[in-house]
Amino acid sequence: MNQKIIYYPKDGKPTVIANEWQVWDGERDEGGIPDLEHGFHKVLVPFHWWITHHKNADVAGRAGKGEIGVWFAADDDILKHPEIIEEGKSLWPVVGAHFPIFRDGRSFSTAALLRDRFEWQGEVRAIGDVIIDQLLQGARVGFDAFELRPDQNLEIALKQFDLFSVVTQNSWRDQRATIA
Amino acid sequence: MYKYDHIDQTLVDQRVTQFRDQVERRLNGTLAEEEFRPLRLQNGLYHQRHAYMLRVAIPYGLLSAKQLRTLAFIADKYDRGYGHFTTRQNIQFNWVELEQTPDILAELAKVEMHAIQTSGNCIRNITSDAFAGVAADEYVDPRPICELLRQWSTLHPEFAHLPRKFKFAINGAKEDRTVLLCHDVGIELQKNPSINHGELTANIYAGGGMGRTPILGSLIKQNVPWQVLPSYLTALLRVYNRFGRRDNIYKARIKILVKALGPEEFARQVEGEWAQLHNATKQGKDNFTQAEWERVAKHFTKPNYKILSVLSDEQLQSHAQSKLDANEKIAFTRWLERNVKPHQVPGYACVILSLKPHGTAAPGDATSAQMNAIADLADQYSFGELRVTHEQNLVLADVEQAELLNLWRAAKNYNLVLPNIGLLTDLIACPGGDFCSLANAKSLPIAKAIQERFDDLDYLHDLGDISLNISGCINSCGHHHVGNIGVLGVDKDGEEWYQITLGGDQGNDASIGKVIGPSFYANEIPDVMISIINTYVEQRSTDEPFIETYRRLGVIPFKEAAYKNNGKHSKGAAV
Repeated sequence: MNQKIIYYPKDGKPTVIANEWQVWDGERDEGGIPDLEHGFHKVLVPFHWWITHHKNADVAGRAGKGEIGVWFAADDDILKHPEIIEEGKSLWPVVGAHFPIFRDGRSFSTAALLRDRFEWQGEVRAIGDVIIDQLLQGARVGFDAFELRPDQNLEIALKQFDLFSVVTQNSWRDQRATIA
Repeated sequence: MYKYDHIDQTLVDQRVTQFRDQVERRLNGTLAEEEFRPLRLQNGLYHQRHAYMLRVAIPYGLLSAKQLRTLAFIADKYDRGYGHFTTRQNIQFNWVELEQTPDILAELAKVEMHAIQTSGNCIRNITSDAFAGVAADEYVDPRPICELLRQWSTLHPEFAHLPRKFKFAINGAKEDRTVLLCHDVGIELQKNPSINHGELTANIYAGGGMGRTPILGSLIKQNVPWQVLPSYLTALLRVYNRFGRRDNIYKARIKILVKALGPEEFARQVEGEWAQLHNATKQGKDNFTQAEWERVAKHFTKPNYKILSVLSDEQLQSHAQSKLDANEKIAFTRWLERNVKPHQVPGYACVILSLKPHGTAAPGDATSAQMNAIADLADQYSFGELRVTHEQNLVLADVEQAELLNLWRAAKNYNLVLPNIGLLTDLIACPGGDFCSLANAKSLPIAKAIQERFDDLDYLHDLGDISLNISGCINSCGHHHVGNIGVLGVDKDGEEWYQITLGGDQGNDASIGKVIGPSFYANEIPDVMISIINTYVEQRSTDEPFIETYRRLGVIPFKEAAYKNNGKHSKGAAV
């Protein structure tokens, strides 16, 4: 995992901040959330794991304290679970959308749907194989936080967001430019 | 033609800056080749057999003389003095250096050109009818919609990493010259007084494609008002982005998704997504506006045509009689017949410059000298503009009929007036194994051998319209599936073989050709062609074109003729 993330709120500037959320892959599931790495107490759990475990006392308790969010796999069809996602709006401070490999663009549509269809206001974080040259697209479709792959240079990453001063289609972050 | 405004120019300039930085990171080792690959592809840069190849977009086929001169300059300065016009309204440079590509892109940006999304798993260069705006059979000029969608699709963030490449074609004429049904999305434009207040609407076809699984697109939506195309196409692409297969590159195109779901179910899913994107609360914020239409459409007004009277072919020929010797007369008459097409405006004609000399250059290739000459011809005879066709030729779309003879003479000096448009030797071919890393077999020597074998213009003219398309591999860049005669290079045990298909066609009766049987050695192909053509000549009725004869008789007589002498060479099993 990366100890730092880029946080880029919709109407703000991109900055590097400490990462407070550990992503749990759902492996080694012994019925509950495993011990987190030292210093971490907030966790993103797999969406499907949440569906089957969110009533567990341990999970519900921690969710009540704002310590649990979910992450969507690239092949999760979030439109099949609208009620759970609606409920999640008041439960999950952060949701993640996963890139199994940087060139798999499904999570771009997931982020777009969260913002556009569910009017998701909370943080949507890109996780997994996230590299510098996806940031611009990610920021436009709906991501406002990025946990980059640890080998990526954060200084170069921060420079990506203002490469283009014009866009020619609408997205979550900006309307297309038109000559008045 | 369209002129960039501040927005367009800023975007291509900034794109060059972005790519320059990516190339630098690639060269200094901080960006791995695997991660650089999609980035370079989305800037038109392939890594080929001998060198890098750069594919430059010629959006919906329109070029200015000034742009063509820049292409000639790039060919001289950064390449080996020539470029290759492709079947999808791009030009390719085959010998560029990675380090120099940002500079090439900067040169292109100076003349409102780019290589954005000419490759990669994204929305590719949008293609259309090379005769848009001048064709006599046009219902609707497709160019404003082409341009609006070019802008909409350029650097679209949600669709930057689709399962596979995604190609649009847009047509607004009675005859389809865009191979509409072989595209991921085909958009057919129309105007109907009873729909959308008589304004432009679109019929949307999806799931066409060539490659390993050739399929013609299905009609999935009718009468989409032009204003809502962004939200409808977003819905369509979103369904594909989410559910198109990513586990197998050969099954990743939208055609496989449409086939797996069925066109009705696919259409239903798109409709469901569209309803959400386009509901009342969104107030159509994605819609194209009238102001945007006008901003774009003002560039596609008619040029300053003169009031002229129509000249008949007889008048044109008799006008030329006194100025030409006997041989020239025949050549000019043939050229009028094959290379000159009717125009919407009286006294004007469209001229196709053939880039298909018999065996002396690869189909679609033009030297920098030819490009500069064609740019001059465009300035002198056709309002400084030209177009690129699906068949890899160039068009001067607005030539005064009275100037045809002068144009013919001038173009003749550059070997651009071979009167073979639409004939057997006006063949389409991909660069094939000579250049392409994907190819199983060479295309160009086959093209050359066929052109040399059929070098008799009298005979070619007598044969009439026949399309011959050659691909060096199953990716089908030579569009062999829709050639009346298709040739496909295949690899068998490390040897190059060629499979023949018959009965393909483009246009309104588009069809996919059928394989006639086992494949042939390269050196057998010219004889096989002769056998197929002879069968046609023997069997045709008066004025019956090849494709009609084939459809009437079926494959058997052609197949028998093709294998009569060659069967002993060909291997026993079809590939």
